[in-house]
Amino acid sequence: MSEHLRYAEGGEVHLDFHGATNTTIDFIISRYGVEAMDAIFKKVGKDVYRSIHDDLVAGDTGQLVRHWRHFFSRENCDYDIEVGADEIVLTVRHCTAWHHVAKLVGTPSRHFCDQTTRTNEALAEGSPYAIDTEITGPGACRQVIRRRA
Amino acid sequence: MIPSDHFTRFYNEVFKFLESQGEDQLQAYFLAISKNQEKHILELIETKGLEGMEEYWTHIKIEENCDMDIDRNEDRLELRMNVCPSLSKVMDNDAEPMGRYCDHCAGWIGPIFDKTGYHLVYDVIDRKKPQCVMRVFKDAAKAKEAEKDVKLLMGWPGHKV
Repeated sequence: MSEHLRYAEGGEVHLDFHGATNTTIDFIISRYGVEAMDAIFKKVGKDVYRSIHDDLVAGDTGQLVRHWRHFFSRENCDYDIEVGADEIVLTVRHCTAWHHVAKLVGTPSRHFCDQTTRTNEALAEGSPYAIDTEITGPGACRQVIRRRA
Repeated sequence: MIPSDHFTRFYNEVFKFLESQGEDQLQAYFLAISKNQEKHILELIETKGLEGMEEYWTHIKIEENCDMDIDRNEDRLELRMNVCPSLSKVMDNDAEPMGRYCDHCAGWIGPIFDKTGYHLVYDVIDRKKPQCVMRVFKDAAKAKEAEKDVKLLMGWPGHKV
């Protein structure tokens, strides 16, 4: 398993970008439909995060787990990751992105969490793994990496 | 969650999609982002003018990790971006950068200055280099004069150059 972390960042974080993501999701879906937004998230998963996607295709989940730890910690989310023999589970109890958008606009787009669900699906496409995202509450979710049957 | 650190790469994918749909769609998106940004900057401009703009971009300089010089006098505010983190991330990217990525910046802030009675002169310099100079003037004639020294003048929705 590699120790690579292609997309690491340092310095401050600008959480207001999540508000612009929310605006973007509503803009694209209102004009082009949810399929167009999903297609953009698919490009994020496969092209923007190509290094993680390629690792998953090669059977290596290590970079994705490190990526999750790096960014959920940077954004001060309440989360944990359990790495088991059969599955890896990311449990997010307080998603900083969702709650920041809620503070800015009241109610985030009902498609706000599609960025997670659809990007996860694209990351895993063509790999031995599936990544399932279950929204468990407002600003809370469970993301599970499992080998496909 | 797409991390806030990677919003710019997501933005880049959105720009590529919208560019494929037509220029008017890209301009409409800039206006939607501009409207979104009003909640962060409009009141500062309306109540404090150039000082409010300086306050906003001082905050942005820190949060977005910009290498940027900010200079204000009684006539204008100047932001000199030495290394733009936004374009830098888009260029250091496993996905293809959108050729006109820099256009979004004037695209969202220009309409807000139009609304508040200020005059923007946005010099992108070179769309492939993460540096630019933005000047905002109180006086339209001074802005017009400043346009003479610009290398790559940027327009925005409702203000073609």
